[in-house]
Amino acid sequence: MSAAAAAAPAVPRERPRLRAALQHAAFALALLAAWEIGSRLLGSALLLPPPGAVLAAMAELTASGELVVALGQSLLLLVLGLAAALVVGFVFGVLIGRSRIAYWTLSPYFSALFVIPTVALVPLVLVWFGFGMGGRVIIVLLAGLVPVLLSVAAGVRDAPGELVEVARSFGLRGELRLLIQVRLRAAVPLLMSGMRLAVGRAVVGMAVAESYLRLGGIGGLIRNYGSSFQTEYVFAAILPLTLLGIGLSALVGLVERRFQRWQT
Amino acid sequence: MSAAPVRRIARIVARPTLWLPLLSLLVFLAVWEAVGRSVDPLLFAPPSRMAGELPELLSSGELAAATGVTLQALVVGYLLAAVSGVLLGIAIGQWDTLGRLLGPYLFGLFSTPRVVLVPLVILWFGIGYGGRLFLVFLWSMIAIATTTADGIRNARPDLVEVARSYGAGRAQTILHVLLPGSIPFVLSGLRIGAERAVVGVVIGEMFLEITGLGGLLQDSAQSLETARMLWAVVVIAVIGTVLITGLDALERRLSSWKAEPT
Repeated sequence: MSAAAAAAPAVPRERPRLRAALQHAAFALALLAAWEIGSRLLGSALLLPPPGAVLAAMAELTASGELVVALGQSLLLLVLGLAAALVVGFVFGVLIGRSRIAYWTLSPYFSALFVIPTVALVPLVLVWFGFGMGGRVIIVLLAGLVPVLLSVAAGVRDAPGELVEVARSFGLRGELRLLIQVRLRAAVPLLMSGMRLAVGRAVVGMAVAESYLRLGGIGGLIRNYGSSFQTEYVFAAILPLTLLGIGLSALVGLVERRFQRWQT
Repeated sequence: MSAAPVRRIARIVARPTLWLPLLSLLVFLAVWEAVGRSVDPLLFAPPSRMAGELPELLSSGELAAATGVTLQALVVGYLLAAVSGVLLGIAIGQWDTLGRLLGPYLFGLFSTPRVVLVPLVILWFGIGYGGRLFLVFLWSMIAIATTTADGIRNARPDLVEVARSYGAGRAQTILHVLLPGSIPFVLSGLRIGAERAVVGVVIGEMFLEITGLGGLLQDSAQSLETARMLWAVVVIAVIGTVLITGLDALERRLSSWKAEPT
């Protein structure tokens, strides 16, 4: 699962910045031009609306406040679900990482949860927990839980022995205090990479929950415009979601790098 | 002769790594049964209800047919993704500029949840097989292409140098040096791609064309038949587990022969 990070294409930064920036700009322009020409050739705003129409739709969605409200609802769902995933993931991650009995009794369920696509769980969760905010938060929780849990478990299991020794010799008593003050802190870099994965999966869970219900948030917005075949609005609503996903994982990556520097 | 195997079996059975998960499974099923029965046996489908539903699902051939439909789209889409992903990966690994320019767009597409693209997929590919195949194919392909490109970029320069100095052309270098060297990367790409493919096939069956295991899940959800939903989820989980653990084992096995350069 750490390889999921490797799937993200890395952008090398060896060449002079200006030249690279120019190349990117030229490529983006070429893509836009190809889009414009393609949509004219197709002649169907339904299949491929021209870039201008998408921009206008985005401006309208922003001006009417529709996009802001939808993004707000989505972010609220995301934050609640991720917070729940963090709490549950920490508790079970510490249990599984520190106790072999807990490991052998509990981890098969979480492995199964990791393999099942979140979409497949959505109908079940909605039947069991209802169609309100609660059910949706549980979907985001299920999507983001396992990466947090696995990284916490791995982190508290492999805590460096010498740190534990030093803490003991400074008079730190009690497994719980040791856990909080030494083991979890030593595991922070690992926890952050788990968080990055969890955020990515949580965004997917959020979109899945919202578009399955066609209710609220950016996912609901997209599905609604999709079912009324207003393609330019579909594009205009997808782009902010993509940016949200990239922005969030970049944010976690930034924090991750800071912690890595702080550790060495 | 007879005592030794019995003792060995006894030791295996007595291992905590075996009986702990089993005990936990029993407790889990018992609690589920008790809670399910007391709350709402129809909605929570305790294990006894699930077991009762199975013979009909099997004898009517419904489950087998759905599994067949799902596996077919999964295998075809995934194989297409593997072949074109490796080819695209070689291309963007070899031509640095291409990789740098395409990278952000591939990453953006890769980070966009697939469900929200369903309206566009319906418009472009229809709600039939083509659309479902596309949902399996594209994201799996991107995962395989980007990891393959990483592998090509991480090729040992000394080996490339040697190949060049012996007069190997670009195609020969790719075939004999770069590709074998990047096998561990390709394999990890194939594993990530498989995860993506399983998700894609389920999305296609739930949101595009109601068919296969995803369709079984969706249909049963409409009529609130939880036991049938759970069986669909179980089969999906088994397919995912078999595919991913199989590729994992392959990855470990093939990576071991490629020792790090000393």
